[in-house]
Amino acid sequence: MRRVVGTVLGKSVAKAVELRGKSSGQSMPGLVVETLVPGYLGVMLHKLPDGVVIVTGTNGKTTTTKMVVEMLQANGKRVLTNSTGSNLTRGIISTVSRQATASGRLPFDIAVFELDEAYAYQFTNVLRPRYVLALNASRDQLDRFGEVDTVARLISDTMLTATDGIIVNADDRRLSAAAAGATVPVSYFGVATKLLTYFPRDDELVSVAGSAAPAQARPVPRAVELLNFSGTQATYQLGTEQVSARLQVTGQHNFQNAAGALALVRALLPGAEPKTLAGQLAEVRPAFGRGQTFALKNGSKLQLNLVKNPASFRQGLASYVRPDTATMIAINDGLADSRDMSWLWDVDFTSLHGQEIALTTGARAVDMALRLAYDDIVVASVEPDLERALRQFCAMPGDKVLFASYTAMLRLHATLERKAGTEL
Amino acid sequence: MNKLHILHIYPNEMNTYGDRGNLLTLQRRAEWHGLEPVIHFYHVGGTLPKDVDIVLGGGGQDSAQTDIMQDVLVIGDQLHALVLHGVPMLMVCGTYQLFGNRFLTRDGQDIQGIGIFDVETIGGSKRLIGNAAVKTADFGMLYGFENHSGRTYLKGTQQALGTVTRGSGNNGEDATEGARTKNAIGTYLHGPLLPNNPELTDNLLRMAMQRKGVEFTPKILSDELSIQSRKNAQSRKY
Repeated sequence: MRRVVGTVLGKSVAKAVELRGKSSGQSMPGLVVETLVPGYLGVMLHKLPDGVVIVTGTNGKTTTTKMVVEMLQANGKRVLTNSTGSNLTRGIISTVSRQATASGRLPFDIAVFELDEAYAYQFTNVLRPRYVLALNASRDQLDRFGEVDTVARLISDTMLTATDGIIVNADDRRLSAAAAGATVPVSYFGVATKLLTYFPRDDELVSVAGSAAPAQARPVPRAVELLNFSGTQATYQLGTEQVSARLQVTGQHNFQNAAGALALVRALLPGAEPKTLAGQLAEVRPAFGRGQTFALKNGSKLQLNLVKNPASFRQGLASYVRPDTATMIAINDGLADSRDMSWLWDVDFTSLHGQEIALTTGARAVDMALRLAYDDIVVASVEPDLERALRQFCAMPGDKVLFASYTAMLRLHATLERKAGTEL
Repeated sequence: MNKLHILHIYPNEMNTYGDRGNLLTLQRRAEWHGLEPVIHFYHVGGTLPKDVDIVLGGGGQDSAQTDIMQDVLVIGDQLHALVLHGVPMLMVCGTYQLFGNRFLTRDGQDIQGIGIFDVETIGGSKRLIGNAAVKTADFGMLYGFENHSGRTYLKGTQQALGTVTRGSGNNGEDATEGARTKNAIGTYLHGPLLPNNPELTDNLLRMAMQRKGVEFTPKILSDELSIQSRKNAQSRKY
């Protein structure tokens, strides 16, 4: 009964919200169903034959979830997943009621959900997942979390609710240490020691030269390890086999995330051939605003990258900035961006030395330019208005890279799709 | 060229709020004003350098605070001597609390501070978070971001750094923000504080050079970006 009532209610609210053109379409059905049909999520999801899997962590959730979903689909699984921006429990309830049949059935084999690390416990209180993939714990929005130890604890708590297994980043010392206390099997993924310098951990982002090296993760055997990467090609050790894939998903951090995705899919599909999985991984395209490339009207290309915190900004700079590309940085200070600008001062911008930034934009365009000035990086123009800045930027010759905080990214993405170009 | 010895204490433990930005700003402005900055880091169990002209400290995680609270007592006397000699200091958030008399945490821990500021901090339940503006007598308006659960109260004749015109300041009750003892400043303002408040930064440099008896004439810098960022900071909501 609850299945039907909740589903019909969720669908009706979604329709009503849509008709009124409200932007709360992602969470409103979830809010109503959660209040009026308690237990809806649990009844709906517990019958999925292959259960529920959660992907969480500070950075890389959306792209990694996409990789896992598409690899499972390529192996014939019917996968239920949440769209980006609805990674709280209410968003998942909305997703479930939308995807269910009118009779309250979910025609799927498995659910793979990206969960916000701060609110994952709300979900795991309702339903314990079979597997949890824990990507990393890094300093993020300080006005939300306070500190990285808190973030790590939240992610670890989620991880330890898994009933069948945990997949965890072996190179993240906080998460890896927490996994050691698990009672279910733990599968580790990581990168080869020689590559660690490309994937700085949180402590290394801010520690100073001349001090003792930050604590390292304890060594553990890895189910999947990134052995090497060059250009878009990545080579992995999967158990006893070595496989390579040319990824369409961009950014070196995603080579690391893909190791996590491979480890999770291996745990779910123990019979899958490593070579086949690598081929399927190569087919995955960038997620919304995470390294997507747009073809502009003047024939040039623009790559849009979400930056959320010092770790993701630094990875983005290392992956996308080339001497011949024009760069724009868009920083807002909404709740979803971080209201506190402190994080910009923890980003290492030295890779930009000698380059000129074409534009900074957003509510904190000036703060961004000031930050760069203290590193002797010249900003040619400061234009707080996002639309105007994007217009100027798109009119410039040559290929472009755009870094944007969350709400700035949403807005710029919408404009790019509507007016400026088509996604490649 | 005149050297300026900057000492940054506990950079690996107390760095939560972009505190590196204060160091970078001090270093760069010193260079722009024709000084030669020399940076020293002090870590737990280390030795303080012989020459110290300015001291910086940042905010940290609770776990980090536990690590350094024993150590700071060891160097407390030396830091007191520096304050007496007029060395300028900027202690933000966690280090501000440890430079006070004591910190009573929410879980009943009584952490002893080094008492450079006659202040006491009591752990609160709700974090005070937002864009703050503070009026000071000596450094003009200060703009920063505050994010703390500790409530700090000034005791006796302890002077505040300023008065909040927007935000919570020391405790959300008496409108005071920060503390000042001679040239040492304690504050909850980060953001980080110095990039958006060049007048304060240049004053720290001036106090440092004055104490050394070195003639210091700040150059006129093009501060167009910080003028704009201050305007923007003024317009932000709490």
